[in-house]
Amino acid sequence: MNRLTGRQRRGIGTSMRSFALLGTMYALGLAVSCAAAIAAETPRQVLRIGMAVDADSLDPSEADAQDTMSIAHLLWGTLYKTSSDGKLDPYFALSAKLSDDGRAYTFKLRPDLKCENGAPLTARDVAYSFDHPADPKFRFTGHAAGFVLPALRYTGTRIDDPLTVTIEFAAYNPIALGLIAEMFIFCRAPYEAMTPEYAASHASATGPYRLVEWRHDDRVVLERNKSYALPAPAYDGVVFRVIPEASTRTAELLAGNLDIMSGVVADQIEAINHSGTAKVASVASIRRIYVGFNQNPKFAATPGGRAIKDPRVRRALQFAVDVPTLCDALLRTPCARMATMIFPPNDKTGIRADPYDPDRAEALLDQAGYKRGADGVRFALTLQTPRGRYPNDVNIALAIAQYLSDIGVKTTVDVLDFASVFVPLVRQHVAGPLFLMGSSGASWSALYDLSDFPAADGGANYTDFADPEFFAGWRQIDQTHDPAEQAKVVRGMMNVFHERGTWLNLYFLPDLYGVSDKISWRPRADELIALD
Amino acid sequence: MGLAGLLAQRLLQSFVVVVGVTLVSFATLHLGGDPTYLYVGEHASSEEIAATRAKLGFDQPLRMQYLRFARGLVHGDLGDSLTFHEPALEIVLERFPATLELTCAAMLIALALGIPLGVFAALHRGRPLDGGIMLLALVGQSIPSFWLGIMLVLFVGLAWHWLPISGRVPLLDPLFAGDWRTAWNNLPQALPFLVMPSVTIAVFSLARTARLVRSSLLEVLSQDYVRTARAKGLSEWRVIVHHALRNAWLPVLTMLGLEFGFLLSGVVVVETVFSWPGVGRLVFNAINHRDIPLVEAAVIVFSLLFVSVNLLVDLLYMRLDPRIRLT
Repeated sequence: MNRLTGRQRRGIGTSMRSFALLGTMYALGLAVSCAAAIAAETPRQVLRIGMAVDADSLDPSEADAQDTMSIAHLLWGTLYKTSSDGKLDPYFALSAKLSDDGRAYTFKLRPDLKCENGAPLTARDVAYSFDHPADPKFRFTGHAAGFVLPALRYTGTRIDDPLTVTIEFAAYNPIALGLIAEMFIFCRAPYEAMTPEYAASHASATGPYRLVEWRHDDRVVLERNKSYALPAPAYDGVVFRVIPEASTRTAELLAGNLDIMSGVVADQIEAINHSGTAKVASVASIRRIYVGFNQNPKFAATPGGRAIKDPRVRRALQFAVDVPTLCDALLRTPCARMATMIFPPNDKTGIRADPYDPDRAEALLDQAGYKRGADGVRFALTLQTPRGRYPNDVNIALAIAQYLSDIGVKTTVDVLDFASVFVPLVRQHVAGPLFLMGSSGASWSALYDLSDFPAADGGANYTDFADPEFFAGWRQIDQTHDPAEQAKVVRGMMNVFHERGTWLNLYFLPDLYGVSDKISWRPRADELIALD
Repeated sequence: MGLAGLLAQRLLQSFVVVVGVTLVSFATLHLGGDPTYLYVGEHASSEEIAATRAKLGFDQPLRMQYLRFARGLVHGDLGDSLTFHEPALEIVLERFPATLELTCAAMLIALALGIPLGVFAALHRGRPLDGGIMLLALVGQSIPSFWLGIMLVLFVGLAWHWLPISGRVPLLDPLFAGDWRTAWNNLPQALPFLVMPSVTIAVFSLARTARLVRSSLLEVLSQDYVRTARAKGLSEWRVIVHHALRNAWLPVLTMLGLEFGFLLSGVVVVETVFSWPGVGRLVFNAINHRDIPLVEAAVIVFSLLFVSVNLLVDLLYMRLDPRIRLT
């Protein structure tokens, strides 16, 4: 064994002292710089928002993700905008008029609109805001080009005068105004000077704020747009910080470094509410969480797949699941129970959510001819779920599986990666036969909420629901432009949908935000972080 | 073989490694299925999905997609990110300084603490100091970095307010842009942000370095030439530093090259916990979004860096031990 002599130790002692001195100097330097960093507080007029993911693109023609939309709505205006209570109000337009044939909307623009560079914003800019994303040579795939314009069946614009523009589409569409309200209005000159690659991270604003800096995966910094002629926004600036880890986001909120944080997870609700510095604000969002009963012929060969073709079986499974308990136990917050796919404030159908009634469920299954076998099992099913896509999704799926197993429907949960496996299966209509899904609706229109089912072969009709009585409703809606008549038709369609038990309705996903006590802010159902 | 020949051989090997890595990553990303569905709206029809697939080039056979990618690679064009709609390589290089900063800081901490701790443990072999250091090393290797990161956030950041919880002040970015003045001015603000994430990454490497230095030094200390050096009356400092440590360096140096790769791969979790805008997080998100051009660009940058560091280690190895000729 190597033992050290006194002299050897002294030698080591000298080097230790050197290390210690260096360490002390480093620590002192660090302490001074820490104090400087912590003292450098953000000015009070700047609102600091923490979100989980970065913006995808700050090109108004390409922006797509929900968090990006919160930023985009501060950078660009729209002709109409959706209020927090789901009304469509004029914004950049003073008025909108639907043509007699229902295939065009004419907008009168406000005369005081300006681009970020101070130039007047005219009908020419509005036309460009529709034509540019629609231009196939740019291959845009964002919200405007990928969803709004195809849904609108946009055909072109007509400039009637500098402050009047007409948006034209191929056929009457009862939700056209709402779709148009999702199109950002931006100025032609600055965007013509940008390549799409440049425009992806450099914004030229028309809304209440302008872009100061976008540090990818770190922060988006906005300041008041001085050219914005409408009422000035409440804050001088807004900083969106990207903090992917929920517990870190919570720590930043509690430390006073954030004013609003999105995506509070269930196990942090109490910590925030008891912090004395912030509270959790909850809202039932427009995102519907349901279990789809897939009618795809692929599943017809399996006993479970055959069974769920019977509407009585589907209704029975709905009665078997205690949704309020799922919410209380697993989401730790009350949920807005889903009676129909329509967002509750717009739901005039009078349909009530099926209560938890396992006895009735068992009776329905017996009636349908699916009696328990000797092992207590009626038939078996697989429930597919993504992991981490929706709050506590896997546990929600496991709980549902247990409820179904309790009434003799032996259910196995299949947990899948969302991006690589689950989405392709769902989009090809071969997920399931049961699958846990979230689908976004709208706060401004019941008809929009039905848009998952535009036709039996519609892309978002993931369950291959094909009831002719339901789909006949669309023809009736197209034939009348009267909202009251349309509401009647919707009621009929929803009754069919409910009686057929097309979805196992769960809840409207509660969105949880952490909000600092220093500010007054209320969340919106449409998942936008708006500052109105 | 001369140094030039060795270098040429190593560069050729590195090229093969990088090409191999791109091929494997390209194939595995495509094994997961068609990414088109992630780039169309919820209500997209089958026609719209097909059109988007064609726009993104995923309608081509895999072989053609790889050839197109390889052709672009030769011209320095790795395509545009599917998520950000900007050149993929530019996005990676924009985040690269953040990751390099973190990795280098972690490496520095691991070496600055791991080597002295290993030396002290070796010199106090069998004593409580040795036991204490080795126990700490064991703990350091056992703690998951995710957990350690969260604990640092909760205690050092939130409860004690000693350090900022998350975020970053750029340091290397202005330096790479030639703006050393901004880099210097940013330094006092940047350091506090750097401490917690780099410590979190460094802990495992620190522990491993300490253990390796200890065992390596113990082996060297029992050699005849160390005894001879002491017999010549050299100071203990000189014996340890000039005779023992110099020879104990060789296995440590070998490990450092690999350690750099380990630290690079370890940044993903830590960048997420501390909201550090680096390449690790970027790649993680890109994989989730099946953003193939972006993943490929990051893989190439990472593999080039890893290969370069190991090439450097090989050269240093030769410099430290002239007996070694790499063939």
